[in-house]
Amino acid sequence: MFWGKSRNIVVALEVGSTKVAAAVGEIRPDGTLALLGIGEGPSGQVRKCEIVDFEVAQGCVREALAAAEQKTDVVIAEVYLAISGAHMRSSNIRLSTAVNHDGDEITHDDVQEIHDMAAAQPLPNDHAIVHHLLQYYVLDDGSKTDNPIGLASKKLTAHFHQVYGLATRLQTTIRCVKELSIDVRNFALSSYATAQAVLTRHQKQVGAVVINLGGGVSDYIAYQRGAVVHTGVLGVGGDHLTNDIVSGLKIPYAKAETLKKTEGSVILDPSDGDGAITLPGAYNFEERNIYRTSLNTIMQARQAEIFEIILDDLQAAQFWPDFAGTIYLTGGASQVKGLVELGSQIFPCPVELAHQSPFDGDQNYGRRPDLSTLLGLLHYARQAELETPASRGLARVGQSLKKALANMRVI
Amino acid sequence: MIEFTADGPFSEKADPLFPDRVRVIGLGQTGASVCDQLVLHGRPGQDIWVFDSDQQTIEASVVPNRHLLGQDTVHGLGCSGDIDLAREIVAREAVRLADPAHGCDFLILIVGLGSATGMALAEHLMQLGRRAGAKVIALGVQPFAFEGWARRERSIAAITTLRAEADSVLVLSHDRLSASPGAPKNVRHNFHLMHQLLAQAAQALAQVVCKRGLIQLSFADVRSLYGRYEGSEALENCWVAHVEGDIHDTTDELIERLFNSPLLGDESIWKLVDHAIVAVSGTRDLGLSDVQEMVGAFKRRLDTDVAIATSASLDDEQHDRVRMTVLLAMTAPVGAPAPEKPVKSGSTAPLPRRIGETAPLPTVDATQPAKKGKSTPVKNTTPKAAPVKPVQPKPAPVPEPEVEFIAQAEEEFLEESPDGEPGLALVPDEAPGEATRAARRVEAKQEEMQFDGPTRGRFEKTHETIYRGENLDQPTFRRRRLMVKL
Repeated sequence: MFWGKSRNIVVALEVGSTKVAAAVGEIRPDGTLALLGIGEGPSGQVRKCEIVDFEVAQGCVREALAAAEQKTDVVIAEVYLAISGAHMRSSNIRLSTAVNHDGDEITHDDVQEIHDMAAAQPLPNDHAIVHHLLQYYVLDDGSKTDNPIGLASKKLTAHFHQVYGLATRLQTTIRCVKELSIDVRNFALSSYATAQAVLTRHQKQVGAVVINLGGGVSDYIAYQRGAVVHTGVLGVGGDHLTNDIVSGLKIPYAKAETLKKTEGSVILDPSDGDGAITLPGAYNFEERNIYRTSLNTIMQARQAEIFEIILDDLQAAQFWPDFAGTIYLTGGASQVKGLVELGSQIFPCPVELAHQSPFDGDQNYGRRPDLSTLLGLLHYARQAELETPASRGLARVGQSLKKALANMRVI
Repeated sequence: MIEFTADGPFSEKADPLFPDRVRVIGLGQTGASVCDQLVLHGRPGQDIWVFDSDQQTIEASVVPNRHLLGQDTVHGLGCSGDIDLAREIVAREAVRLADPAHGCDFLILIVGLGSATGMALAEHLMQLGRRAGAKVIALGVQPFAFEGWARRERSIAAITTLRAEADSVLVLSHDRLSASPGAPKNVRHNFHLMHQLLAQAAQALAQVVCKRGLIQLSFADVRSLYGRYEGSEALENCWVAHVEGDIHDTTDELIERLFNSPLLGDESIWKLVDHAIVAVSGTRDLGLSDVQEMVGAFKRRLDTDVAIATSASLDDEQHDRVRMTVLLAMTAPVGAPAPEKPVKSGSTAPLPRRIGETAPLPTVDATQPAKKGKSTPVKNTTPKAAPVKPVQPKPAPVPEPEVEFIAQAEEEFLEESPDGEPGLALVPDEAPGEATRAARRVEAKQEEMQFDGPTRGRFEKTHETIYRGENLDQPTFRRRRLMVKL
């Protein structure tokens, strides 16, 4: 039967401030993930991960999805979407429920009940939940566990890290995709997705902070003892570095972007002296010399400020005094020179560039830090697909029909 | 026979100017000093409280209802700018702080924005006040620019906090007073005057929100002027002037004295101000026609059309005295499309400013340029006949012809100073040293104005990213004032 031979395809989509990218992966029968290809294009009118012009942004999404379809020969019907923006908020919550069974044995129902309670937690006005990520369970004797089912306790307490954002802004991003007749199967916080790509289980256990330096925002996530303990999004990213260069050196945006990538450094080196960089002329731009110290001063000030603000936020979090892990830097803006050195000067812990976990399939994208969120989202999608109980019988037929119709753009 | 007795504002038993439902709370050292002025020079029977963690401040205060906080924690030594410590003290003293926020309709909080104790208390009381159903008006004073960047940063963060919580926030800057030529030269007198002006502002606010008087304004009027901003988009949005005179004084004399008030000395404020509240109070002899005449005279002295809301009240205890307080407001931030301020016909339009220039230049009749060899008197047609400020030594070249003419006129003045001292011909009543000091003060003020100036470039259409009162969309090197060679 046709649905029996269908491939288990997952698609990750990221609408970023610099680019829109869609990654197509396949979950093989053994549960491994293979990357089939990535379609990408520049994003227009998306600032700080928020859509400024809906139609322009939607056009960019359409082009990226079309490019992905063309490269992979897959018709995309649904996507997993990365969500970010300075409106995202997070908090750690603790919920408890009484266990009323024979022998006080905790069952799946008790666990489900506590998860339902987490999903129904009151949020600030106009906010919607994005994740409630389980940290650990606590039994009435104070012992902690990741899986309480079958254990005995009169009370079950669960600690969650909940992430929420402004509903209207979340809806705008989702609507941008849905109006293209593409279903949004699920969404994930960008930093959470990034962590899936760059952190191993061991690193999560030991303790790690991943800072994803994107174009519009810098988002970060902290793990301790295998659980998410803190997340944050700062509405400042690589675009701000470029914008500062534009403002400080009075050069066009495109020139500033090139200058940042090719010549700029976030470390002030006294040996640079008054060395000059020559910006070649163009038909509408006269050749100019730029002081290297000026460029680096502008970039260092901005990047140091980003790190300082993130450090302030981390230090205010409850987990920080016990944190003994490493800070990993990734994202498109992590490619500027001197970033690790600057990070090491500011953060009181080891700082490294993140490396993505290996995967099967197309290997051309594995070393690009600007794709870590997208590839992490594929890992997240794979995990979600594997955890979802397989549909059976009529439900499976219905699902396959829906997929087929969607492929034909009927629904 | 039924005897009719007068009631309301005309009754013998009318409430004092400050009825119970308006409570003024001074927080920190600045708040205490302002409340002292209210006690010393204000009306009796006012509901005034003072809180601080500094024992000296509390002991020196003349406010009967004064409270020292955190004695167990800091032993009366204050918080030395440590906001976390101040918050801890406030948390520990929560029980004592529960009372002041209850039992009033309006809560006027007076706080120095650089004060840790003051701000921690303000945060707490604003929340309590609003929970108790009171309208909260915050009156904040920015520290001097010379007090350092750290203190200034704290004050900017404080403004953001106040605007997030309070119903109306009035921010006055100490620097405004120091830059004014009419301000006293003695530092102690300077502070004293600032505290007096703040006390008058608090009194005027109380008068406006109290429902008694001939012409009544309400809290909504105050809120419409001072409740519009968010974050730190306008670091200063209020100016205040006060005059008190005999009922027999002529209106013009009163208005003249009002315009000579130190905070109105800097004429550049008239370019920012677009709304005003004029609060007049006097004995029961004060008639509507008197109020009309006073407000009319005030309006006539302005070069621009400022929207004026008037409040008039009666106070028998003033004994033939009449008081007029003017609260000026800027309701649109610098750089934003401000409400149209049409220039009145017949008055001289303000001259364009040059980059780096801080004081408004004297207006000169363009048809009669200054002649060489003669110290030309300057006719100032702006509202207040303030002493003209010394000019900058390096006039920047600007293509507009009027500006070039002014620059030329300045040079002539400089050349023609009778004793060769630059600027003395323009400031005949000031000593040379004072003139130099005034110039330096003005420079500091200009830097402050630049803070809001830079655009956000690529991020103009997006939501601002504000962190601790700073707009992170503006270049960091500019906010941190780092030198960039071009």
